Amino acid sequence: MRPINIVVIINTLFFLLLYLFIDPLNTYIIGAGAILTALIVICSFIINRANMGDSYIFLIISLLSSIGIVVIYRLDSASGVRQIMWYALGVVLYFLGYIIFRSFRNWDEYIYLYIGTSILLFVSTFAVGTTIKGATNWIQIGGFTFQPAEVIKIIFVFFIAAYIAYPEKLKNVYVFLGLVYVHILFLFLQRDLGMAMLLFGVFISIFYVSNKNYKLLLYNLLPAFGIIVIGYFTMNHVQVRYEAWINPWRDISGRGYQITQSLFAIAEGGFFGTGLGFGRPDYIPEVHTDFIFSAICEEMGVFGGIAVILLYFILIYRGFKITLQIKDMFKKTVALGITLTYSYQTFIIIGGVTKLIPLTGITLPFISYGGSSLVSAFIAFGILQGISKDVLEGAELIEV
Amino acid sequence: MFRIFSLALSYVFIFLIYYFIFNIIRLIYLDIKNMKEKEESNTGGPFLKLLTTKEKLDFSVESLYSVKQDAVIGRGAESDIKIEDIFISTKHAQITRDEDEFFIEDLESVNGTYLNGNRLEDVARLKNGDKVGIGLLEFVFVKETG
Repeated sequence: MRPINIVVIINTLFFLLLYLFIDPLNTYIIGAGAILTALIVICSFIINRANMGDSYIFLIISLLSSIGIVVIYRLDSASGVRQIMWYALGVVLYFLGYIIFRSFRNWDEYIYLYIGTSILLFVSTFAVGTTIKGATNWIQIGGFTFQPAEVIKIIFVFFIAAYIAYPEKLKNVYVFLGLVYVHILFLFLQRDLGMAMLLFGVFISIFYVSNKNYKLLLYNLLPAFGIIVIGYFTMNHVQVRYEAWINPWRDISGRGYQITQSLFAIAEGGFFGTGLGFGRPDYIPEVHTDFIFSAICEEMGVFGGIAVILLYFILIYRGFKITLQIKDMFKKTVALGITLTYSYQTFIIIGGVTKLIPLTGITLPFISYGGSSLVSAFIAFGILQGISKDVLEGAELIEV
Repeated sequence: MFRIFSLALSYVFIFLIYYFIFNIIRLIYLDIKNMKEKEESNTGGPFLKLLTTKEKLDFSVESLYSVKQDAVIGRGAESDIKIEDIFISTKHAQITRDEDEFFIEDLESVNGTYLNGNRLEDVARLKNGDKVGIGLLEFVFVKETG
């Protein structure tokens, strides 16, 4: 059976189950499911027909988003409908990202533009940003709120790649390092620790891969520890997070409430889960965004959770494969950066909700509820799709 | 009733998701096998690289065929480049090497051979980057990697 057929069967069963689950019976759900599935089939057909490169990236992210949409729909049907709309917008931007990335040839020349845009976004977040849940990282335009950090994530990867391709554009490596730390400092000031950790991880990994000066790498790791220690003593909420990680059971009704509920939910699911609709994931605060992985574990079991992790594995594998096959340094670094961003993001949040590492608020790519994160992930993987086209064309083999 | 249904389906879902993963991992295995073979043969020299996506085809095909002195492409067992495409004749086309030049020739196949989109009538010279269409497949001819 071809993978696309399996995705269609999974979606059909999922939405049939949802239709029976939500009382009273509502044919609207069947319609929503049909639209979603049709969208996946059409897009996957277009990708194959138009020879757009790697044909698996889109299938894997579609399956991940389908699982996300179904779980969100089951938690709250209004959010589920909105998530389907975000998905549709994401797909459009996926193709737009692909087309725009491929129609300009000199992405590696605009290093100053990338730096400028990031800093402008940071500054405007401070100027007109609204505070939601303890972090000042939202901009409100009309009725919409969006998280500039999600866009900055992609621009940051482009910025690093442009530097790696042409290091002589900046005066020396210290200017580059300074600019990287400006990004991270801004995120710290916004109290968006998860994102700061993510960008630092991506930067240090790419720096490790491309730089031969290991002493400099070591000097970069030292301040990271320094920042963590200083952050612990100066910022109250870092302390709270740390204590909730070390021993959530001590303050189970307060600081440790969220993480312990998440652990209870995962334990409740067992191997095969309670079945969709029979768990109580709604006991966990923020279950539809940060803690959606616990909801999946509760209702689809540990095997379901492992399946989700394996899906991320193969998605990231595709990313690394593209990275290895591309010869152009800029595109190679962009592919690596995008792959690393989403792999670290997955690790940080799944590690957080299972109490492996301290919890930082970040979304699970493609599954969590949220427009900005879903849409930016689609744009990022659209760009990766654009890069993968070069591998298929053999453009890297023949230098005409 | 719904409870039983939901519980039964939860097993089905897990099975299906793993089946999907299995399918893709199988393709990853094929990929790695391919990459390894490519490394082993280490073709810097002339080869045909497949452009058509493999996943759409119902027969097996390599992504890279190195071209030797005289290579016959066809469905027959004695072909140098053997492809089980039903649109390919037993002896379909031939690539001949003459010193440093390569020439392609159609061996009176039923469906014809295409060079850069035009049907071959006569012997034609192959240049680096030329596209060769045979049956359902399209290859790019690489004389030497840059």
